[in-house]
Amino acid sequence: MTAVLELPAPPLPERRNVMLVGTMLVIVAGVTLFGGLLAAYFSARNATVHAGGTWAPEAGTLPNAALAITYSALFLSSFTAQWAVSAIKANERRQAYVAVGVTLMLGAAFINGLSFCWGQLHLVAGADNYASYVYAISAVHLFVVVAAMLLFVVMGFRVFGGQFHARNAEFVASATAFWHFAVVAGIAVWWCLWFLAGGPTS
Amino acid sequence: MAMTETRPAPQAAAATAGAPADRAGLAGWLSTSDHKRIGRLYIATALLFLLVGGVIGELLAVERVSNGFDVLTAGSFAQAYTFHGEVALWLFLVPLLLGIATFIVPLQVGSPEIAFPRGSATAYWSYVVSGGLLIGAYLANGGPSGGQPAAVDLHLLALAGLTVATLLGLVSVLTTALTMRAGGMALGDVPAFTWSVVVGGSLTLLTAPVLLARLAILYVTHHFGGSYDLNDYGAIGWMFSVPQVYLVAVPAAGVALEIVPVVSGRKLRRRGTSMVIVGLLGVVGLGAWAQVPSSFDDFLYVAIGLAAIVPPLALLGLLADSLRNGRPAPRAALLLAMGSVLLLLAGAAVGALSVIDGLDLRGTVWEAAQVHLVLTGAAWLGALAAIWWWAPKLYGVVLSEAAGALAFVTTFVGTLVLAAPDLVNGMANDVPLRATHFGSSGARALNAVSAIGGGLVALGAVVVVLSLLAAGLRKGQRAEADPWGGHTLEWSTTSPPPPSNFSAPVPPVTSPTPLLDEVDA
Repeated sequence: MTAVLELPAPPLPERRNVMLVGTMLVIVAGVTLFGGLLAAYFSARNATVHAGGTWAPEAGTLPNAALAITYSALFLSSFTAQWAVSAIKANERRQAYVAVGVTLMLGAAFINGLSFCWGQLHLVAGADNYASYVYAISAVHLFVVVAAMLLFVVMGFRVFGGQFHARNAEFVASATAFWHFAVVAGIAVWWCLWFLAGGPTS
Repeated sequence: MAMTETRPAPQAAAATAGAPADRAGLAGWLSTSDHKRIGRLYIATALLFLLVGGVIGELLAVERVSNGFDVLTAGSFAQAYTFHGEVALWLFLVPLLLGIATFIVPLQVGSPEIAFPRGSATAYWSYVVSGGLLIGAYLANGGPSGGQPAAVDLHLLALAGLTVATLLGLVSVLTTALTMRAGGMALGDVPAFTWSVVVGGSLTLLTAPVLLARLAILYVTHHFGGSYDLNDYGAIGWMFSVPQVYLVAVPAAGVALEIVPVVSGRKLRRRGTSMVIVGLLGVVGLGAWAQVPSSFDDFLYVAIGLAAIVPPLALLGLLADSLRNGRPAPRAALLLAMGSVLLLLAGAAVGALSVIDGLDLRGTVWEAAQVHLVLTGAAWLGALAAIWWWAPKLYGVVLSEAAGALAFVTTFVGTLVLAAPDLVNGMANDVPLRATHFGSSGARALNAVSAIGGGLVALGAVVVVLSLLAAGLRKGQRAEADPWGGHTLEWSTTSPPPPSNFSAPVPPVTSPTPLLDEVDA
C-alpha cells in the first residue's frame, strides 16, 4: 500500500545576490584595469630608466604632504562607507544618513585635493612619459571615485526614501563594496605613482 | 507501507512574472529592455557593420593585387588596415556573439529576464554610438597616424566606448548565468553554450580592461601633444593577434557542443571533459600580457602558442565521437558548427607555427592568415551556426537549410582561399603585414587569389543577410517550440518566446539535459 503525501509548492528559484555579483564582476574588471595601467606605468618607467633617461621629478618637487592628506581622506572614507552598511543592517536610519553624508564629503575632499595636487605638480602631459602616465592613471581613478560617489548618492536618496533595512541591504552592500574598491585602487595608485616616485632613477 | 511525497509545481503566474511587454512599434524597439529584442538589435547592427568592414576588407585586398597604390594612398591604406581589424572585432564579431548570448543565455538558464536589463540596453546603445563615432573618426582622418588630432582623439575615445559597452553587456549576461539559473541548475549543469559564454565572457572581463588602460594612456599622451602612430598601435593590436583572438572563438565551441549531440540524437558523452576543453580554450586566449615584442620570445608565449592546438583538437575528437555514436541528421547548423571547429583547429595550427622563432613568421602576412582563420572562419561560422540553430527562438521561423548550406560552403571555402595565399606569402615570400609593394609577380597573384576568397566570404554574408531579412519578415517555415528535439530549457518555450520567456513554470532542473529527462520520465 502506498500513501501519497502532498507537500506545499516549492519556493520559486530566488535571484541569488544579483546586484552584489554584478558589482563583484565590475570590481574584477576594475582590478584588471588598474593592473593594466600600473603594469604599463612600470614597463614605461623601466624602459626610460634603462635607456638612461629621467622618469619622475625629484621627490622634493612633488606635493607630498598634500598628496598624503588627499589620499588619507579617501582612505578614511572606507570606514564611513562601512559604517553606512552597519547602520542600515542595524536599522539605524539616522546613523545611515550621517555615514552616507560623511562618505560623500570625504569623496568630494579627495577630488578637491587631487585637483589641487595636479595644479602643484607643474607636469606637462604629453611632454614626458611620467606626466602622461600620472595624469592618465590618476584621472581614471578619479572617474572610479566619481562613479562610487554617484552610487552613494543614489543610495542616499533610497535610504532617505526608506527603501533599505536590515533584510534589504544588497544595494548598500554592493555600493560599499565598490567604494572599498575605489579606495584600495587609490592606495595602489598613491603607492606606485607618488610614494615610489622618489627620484629621477626610481 | 511505502510513502511517496509529491510536490506541486510552482504557481504559473508567479513563475512567469518577468519583464513587462514592450510598447508596440519603433518606440518599443528604441526603449526596450527585453533581452530578446536587445539580442536581435545586436545581431542586426553587427551585420550592418559587417557590410562596412567587408567593403574595407575587399578594398584592401584589391589594393594588394598590384604594386603601389591604385585606390588608396599610403596614409589611408594604413588607416583602412587598422579600421578593418577594429570593425571586424569590435563592431562585428564581439557584438554579434554578445547579442546571441544576450538572447539565448537567459532562456537556457530558465530565467524570465536578463540581469540588469537596462544595463544591457545601455550597453547596446553605447555600442551603436561608439561604433558610429569610430567610423566618423576614421572618415575625419583619425586613427593611428591620422592627420586630424581631434579625430585621432575621437578614435581612441570610440574604442574606449566600445570596450566599456562590451564589458557592460558581459556583466549583464554573466550575472544572469551566475545568479538567475532555474531551481536545481548548478553552474556545472548549465548548457554548453552558456558555459562557453561564462568562460569567454569572464576572461574577456579580465583582458578588455587592460585595453581600456592602454587607451586611457594613449589618449592622454596624444591629447596633450604626444605622438600616437602605428608604432604605438601594438598597445591595441594585441587584441587582434595570437593568443587573444582565441577568446572570440570560445562561444563557437559552445555552439558546436550544443548542436552536435542534439543532431546526433544522443547525450554528449564526457560532458565534464567538454567543459574543461572549453575552459582550456579560454585560458589559451588570455593574451593581454603579450603586448610588446620582447614578450614574443618568452617561453610562456611559445608554450601557449603550441598548446593552443590541443583544445580544438580535443573538441573535434569529442564531437566526432558524438557523431560516430549517433545518427546525425544533415542540418545546415551542423555543417556550420563543424566547419567552425575545423577552422579553429587550422587557425590554432597556423598560430602554433607562428610562435616558432626559427620560422620568422611574426610580422608577416602569415599572422593575417591566422587571424582570418580564427575570426572570419571559426568565430563567424560559429555565430552562423548559432543563428541557424536558434532562429526558431530568434525569429520564430526555421531558416532555409539550402541557404545555410550555401552560407557554409561560401564562408568555409572562402576563408580557406582568403587565408592560404597569405600563408604562402608569409612563409615563402616573407611579405610583411600591411605591405603594398611586392617583389614578385607570384606574391601579387596569390594576393589576387586571396581577394577572391574575401569575395566568397562576402557572398556568404549576403546569403546570411537575405535569409535573416526573410526571417525578420516571417517569410519562412513557422517554427514549433522544439523543432530539433533539443535537450535544454530554451526549447521548452514557444518559438519565439513570450515576453516573460516561459509561459509555463520551469520545473526544477536535475541534470544538464532537462528536456531529455522529461522524455525519459
